[in-house]
Parts: sequence; structure tokens; C-alpha cells
Amino acid sequence: MKIVVCIKQVPATHDAKIDPETKRIIREGIKAILNPFDNYALEEGIQLRDQFGGEVIAISMGPQKAENSLREAISVGVDRAILLSDRAFGGSDTWATSYVLAKAIKKIGNVDLVICGKQAIDGDTAQVGPGIAAHLDWLQATYVMAVDEISSSSIRVKRMHEDGYDVCEIPFPAVITVVKDINIPRVPSLKGVLASKKYKIPVWKPDDIDADKSKIGLDGSPTRVVKTQPPPFRHASTKKIEGTPNDCARSLLKELRMRSII
Amino acid sequence: MLHHIRNKIYLVEVLPPKQDSEKLEKDLEKFSNKYTRVMESGYCACITDNAMGLLSFQGPEIIEELKLPVMPEQVMIHLNTFHRKDDLDNILESCKSKGIKYLLIITGDGSDRLPKLRPSDVDTTDVESVTSVELLKYINREYPDSFVLGVAFNPYEPEEHEFEKMERKIKAGATFIITQPLIEKNEVVDRLIKKYPEIPVVVEAWMSRKLYLLSEAVGYEIPENKEFDPISTLKMLHRLYPECGIYLSLLGFKTQYHLIKDTWT
Repeated sequence: MKIVVCIKQVPATHDAKIDPETKRIIREGIKAILNPFDNYALEEGIQLRDQFGGEVIAISMGPQKAENSLREAISVGVDRAILLSDRAFGGSDTWATSYVLAKAIKKIGNVDLVICGKQAIDGDTAQVGPGIAAHLDWLQATYVMAVDEISSSSIRVKRMHEDGYDVCEIPFPAVITVVKDINIPRVPSLKGVLASKKYKIPVWKPDDIDADKSKIGLDGSPTRVVKTQPPPFRHASTKKIEGTPNDCARSLLKELRMRSII
Repeated sequence: MLHHIRNKIYLVEVLPPKQDSEKLEKDLEKFSNKYTRVMESGYCACITDNAMGLLSFQGPEIIEELKLPVMPEQVMIHLNTFHRKDDLDNILESCKSKGIKYLLIITGDGSDRLPKLRPSDVDTTDVESVTSVELLKYINREYPDSFVLGVAFNPYEPEEHEFEKMERKIKAGATFIITQPLIEKNEVVDRLIKKYPEIPVVVEAWMSRKLYLLSEAVGYEIPENKEFDPISTLKMLHRLYPECGIYLSLLGFKTQYHLIKDTWT
């Protein structure tokens, strides 16, 4: 089974500032991290490879420093990593980005399954996974919370809803995007981190993936951001804990622990 | 742990490199130097487990990677409840195979990247959240006679609650106790020693000059400019608690290490 996991490096902070001119996130001076949802995509890819054999390849489109996220992917156990980096890719919106990733997946060849995190925490669009499926003309399942079964020709998954889940079976090759409920991502081992530092990450340019230059970068991006503004003030939701003082304290402790606050 | 107290063996905290270190090789070398120095001094190196929820490498994997020697009486690993089940088992197997026998079992601090053990991971159904008590029971059940298990005691928490927790920890198999840092005589610790005369108690000595960092732990504000002499306090703790072991936290290896040699006489 050949699995490609698409990952993205994103700003670490939620206080990311928007450039008033370009309406894009200012990334300079902000620590970059692997998009948290992509940890779940990587973990699922690794678990499926361990169960069914084959290989997992992580790919990312971004500036040269995005290779740090690919090294993180290597450190948790993916077999290969490829960076798509070139000035011509700069300014790509989700449509152009998914075009570039789809072209890279085509170049890798014989891919059975593409896994993406449900969305990136910087843009929050959740469009790249579905965009890849559209460019490849493959079937897709989004918001996957569990992989129930895999046969030689298809994958059966549970798709999360607010009120429950759908069970879908889609034939290979396919694209899935995953939510946090799907697994518990592993933490990189020291051995893995040291190995990732030595790994030489190939960098693919537009010509390497035979990309149509009119479909990448700003020119290939139909999206125009015409205005940005801070989100409206969000009222915190309140949960009332009732019972005896001991029961309340126990429940509160549980809530805080389950959210890893304490 | 009685062996350590009788033979005046300090427990020296050694912090492992963090996962996001930008100079990992250098940090590993520093760790190796500190660990080796503790071994050569005949003390016990105590390696923390993602202290304060900061993602760090695990003691056993560093020992393995750097091929550091393990003297069974001279290594202690902290182990908390923020692990995946398979990682927990790997750590325990690794400790066992390397001859590491002292484990300090704590509930620990979480973070977004540190998953909490679920009750089903430690084969328990009667709790909603795994604490050091469930982890102790699990280790004693799955690895009988493999480890010497210790637990933490916090004299700054509500007293009766802390004693009730300690009772459960001891019933679950704890055989030694390490306190939170003490900077003076502490009546709650005195009560602890009296209550469990058969259990070795180790008091933690705060070796950083920045005493105000302890404000949160002790529950009252310590001013930033408060003068603090860690070596004098260490000597005082020896006088106050001659029957206890000593755990040195945040010891300065460059500036303080040579000064502790003659403090336990």
C-alpha cells in the first residue's frame, strides 16, 4: 500500500497578524510548527503501513524552512519526505496548492491513499484535501474519525458528524481527511529525531512535477481576499457542575485533566 | 532507598534535552557530561519525564542512544501518566532490560502533544482519570518485583487530602517518598515521617538561587529579590532531617556541584 500524507507548516501562535496590504498572514518572526491536525494524518498513515505493509511518503508545499515539518514526519516514522518549494508556488490559494500537491502525487505514482489533516490552523479552510481529490478525480471522505476496514480495492471509514457518523466505503485510489478522534499521535523518539536530521529531503520544482505555470502561484489562484477583520468576540461556553462539593471537585479535576490543563 | 540514605547518596535531578531543541547534539553532550559526573560521584541521577509538560526525550532512550552505563543504585527515572499506552510499556520494558530499578511515579503535567493514559490502558475501570495510584498498581501488576517505586508528597497541598492520597499510593505499592522542595522546617513533612516510619522519605532541596520560582509550588508569593543561599539551606535540611535522603533539584553543575561534596557529613 502506498500512502501519501500531505502536511503543512503553520505559525505556532494564535496571535498571527494579517498584512493589511496583502491580507495574508505575516509569518516572519513567528515560530513555525507542524499543523496539529497533520499529526493525526501522519499517525494514521504510519499505523496503516505497519498493519498492511507498503510505504508512507510525506509531502509539503512551502518555503525551504517547511522542511522542518517534513523532518518531524520522518522522526515519527514516515519512509520518505518530499518538499515542493519554489518562488513560482508562492501566493497559491487552496485551489492552486491542491493542484501542486495533486501533481506531486501523480509524479510519485501508484498511490493508493492520500491522507490530510481535516484543515490547517492558519487558513482553517479545510479545502486542500477535497481539492486534491478533485484535481486527481479520485473519491474522497472528509472528517474521517475511524478506518474500519481496508480491502485490496477499497477503504471503509466513519465520517464524523455533529450528531453521529456516516459509514462510507470508497474504492482506491482515494483521499481522506482526518479528525482528532482517529488516533493518538506518537511523540518522536530520539532515534527518530537523530535520523531525521541526516535525511536529505528532495526539493521538487514546478518542472519536476510537470506543473502548468498558469495554474500555480498567484496567477493560478482564483481566490481573492478582499477584506479581513478580527473575529467577533466569542462568548465562552459555560458548563455547570452540580453535586456535592466532593463530586464537583472530582468532576472539575477530571474536566481539567481531560483537556490537559493540569 | 534506605541504601541511599545510609550511604549518603544524593539524588541529583538531571533534565533531559527538550524535543524542540535547536542544538540537540550539544544538549545531548551536556546531558551525558552531567550524567557521567553524577555516576562518578557515586550519586543517583534522577531523570525527569516531560517536566512542566515540556516535551522532552525520555531517560531510557537517551541512555541507550548515548550508550551510558547504568548502575542500578544510581539511576532513577520519573514516570508520569501522560503517555500513550505503547510508549509507557516501551519505557518500562526499556528500564527493565537496562537494569534501571528506581522509578518515581507521578501524575505529571500534560500538554497538547502529551496524551493522557486512559483508564483502559492500565486495565482499570473504577476511575475516570489515571493518576499515580493507578499507574503504580499497573506497574506492580505487570512488572512484579522489577522496580522500586516511589511517589511524590506535596506538603503545600491541603494536608488531609494529601495524606489521604499518600495512603492510597502506599497501598498501591509505593516504597519511598520524595517531597516537594523544602526551604525550612515543615510540620507537614514532620507528620509524614512520623506517620510512615518504615518508609524512606527524601526531602527535595531547591538548588536554584531564584527562590521566587517556587511561589506557585508553595502557594504564596516569594519576592523576586529575596536572597537565598541554596548550599546553606541544604546543610540546614541535613540538620533538620537527618533520617531523610536528599533530592537536589536544579543543581548548577558548573557553580554548585563541587560545593555539595562535603555537605552530607
